[in-house]
Amino acid sequence: MNTWTGNLQLKIENKKGKSIPKDIYFQGAFKLMRPKYFDDSGQPCYFILNPGGGYLDGDRYRMDLNLEEKAELLLTTQAATKVYKTPNQSVIQETNISMGKDSTLEYVPDPIIAYRSADYIQHNNIHMESGATLIYSDILTPGWSPDGSLFSYDNIQVKNQIFMNGRRVVFDHLRLKPNSQDIGGIGLMEGFTHVGSMIVICDQVSKEFMERIKEHYSEDDQKYKMGISSLVIPGFSVRILSHDTQTIEEVFNYIHQTIRKELLQKDVVFLRKY
Amino acid sequence: MDRQFLNLMQLCDSNFPTGAFSHSFGLETYIQDDAVFDKNSFSSWLEAYLEEQLLYTEGITSSLVYEALKRDDLETIWELDSLITVQSLPSETRDANMKMGDRFLKTTIPLYDFPILYTYREKIRNKEVYGHPAIVFTMIAYGLNVPKETTVISFLYASISNLVQNAVRGIPIGQSDGQQILHDFQNHLIGAVRKIEELSIDDFGITAPGLEVAQMNHEHLNIRIFMS
Repeated sequence: MNTWTGNLQLKIENKKGKSIPKDIYFQGAFKLMRPKYFDDSGQPCYFILNPGGGYLDGDRYRMDLNLEEKAELLLTTQAATKVYKTPNQSVIQETNISMGKDSTLEYVPDPIIAYRSADYIQHNNIHMESGATLIYSDILTPGWSPDGSLFSYDNIQVKNQIFMNGRRVVFDHLRLKPNSQDIGGIGLMEGFTHVGSMIVICDQVSKEFMERIKEHYSEDDQKYKMGISSLVIPGFSVRILSHDTQTIEEVFNYIHQTIRKELLQKDVVFLRKY
Repeated sequence: MDRQFLNLMQLCDSNFPTGAFSHSFGLETYIQDDAVFDKNSFSSWLEAYLEEQLLYTEGITSSLVYEALKRDDLETIWELDSLITVQSLPSETRDANMKMGDRFLKTTIPLYDFPILYTYREKIRNKEVYGHPAIVFTMIAYGLNVPKETTVISFLYASISNLVQNAVRGIPIGQSDGQQILHDFQNHLIGAVRKIEELSIDDFGITAPGLEVAQMNHEHLNIRIFMS
């Protein structure tokens, strides 16, 4: 099938130290706003916009990102992705990312909010080459429902696959199906409602750096539960459960900005959009 | 038949030295958090572990490796080895399985002498693959002409039985309570194998966030009796 509800292609190249768009194409319910430059590093920040306001039954979204050698991109959304009732066909979003040598992608979209009877499937396939740095995060949250129930969506499924020089290094598959799981129970959401995932791949990430991040969050906080662990290549993943989006955003933002500042020698950026 | 049965009994014996004795796969984190403290709370954890993680990882892998062996399709097996290893985001759990896979091969190669076991060991040594006990177990069971469903259920049983033993020591709970849980789990194991039959590679690696957070946090426990 080649009909997409929204389709977006973005290619970034590095020209004399400045990352510039080489190719931009978007169609349907995907739009890119004009890039912002937060510092003088030449890294553009693009905001993805969904003019339709939300994802509906059977919607299909596709995004292709291509970062050439040494190209840098900060990509986020303008607002949360809202998935409404999908009685017949799952909403599917497929993202393919290719990252050339020494390129940097920070892809930190707003949360996905799944409302009553929503069924959402997201696949991210990321191919990286040596020296490339990736900071990725997602947050899955339940939408408000009239009867007040916390898990009224049917299905949220997120599958992330990352390859480094053709070798698979990350496979992450979360699927929350509240109707057929003891969703709040031990092992699953454990009394929390929101789940965040972060994946960082970066040659400069050391064991010591991870320990410091971990220590920053070592206090016994009832507001969330999080884990952090190293990957098979330099980098780590974070999983966090909480009662609200803000708690997860704060943790992810702290990690993101600490990496920018300490490992990438970049300025701290504020992506707050509200 | 008798020989096949005896071999399976030996492979599934919790005394069989795979190293599973030293791994709790995150259970110890729950014990220290007082979230698992008795027979019932352990049962709930074990059910989630089997049905929300093990089934989609080691269960599917065993089933797909078996199918691949039937087709003599080794590429698929190496692909599954990579998938099952990197899908484990908690590094202790990932390392635990790599170590157990290696240990399992070391113990079983002198017993069974199947060429596929040598090939697997060679590929692990060359760092072309990682090594995983679910794959080693399936290779042996296939070599012994054990039917697929029996292979998968035996492997799941061995994993669950090991965790019960570890719970007896770690929580602790009584030996009889442990055996009661294992007995009650027969239905869950049968259900899991039925479910696996309906799953495909698209369902591979579905995981449970709570289990993972606990598996990740095990790295940071101060006093531990288990390595994962």
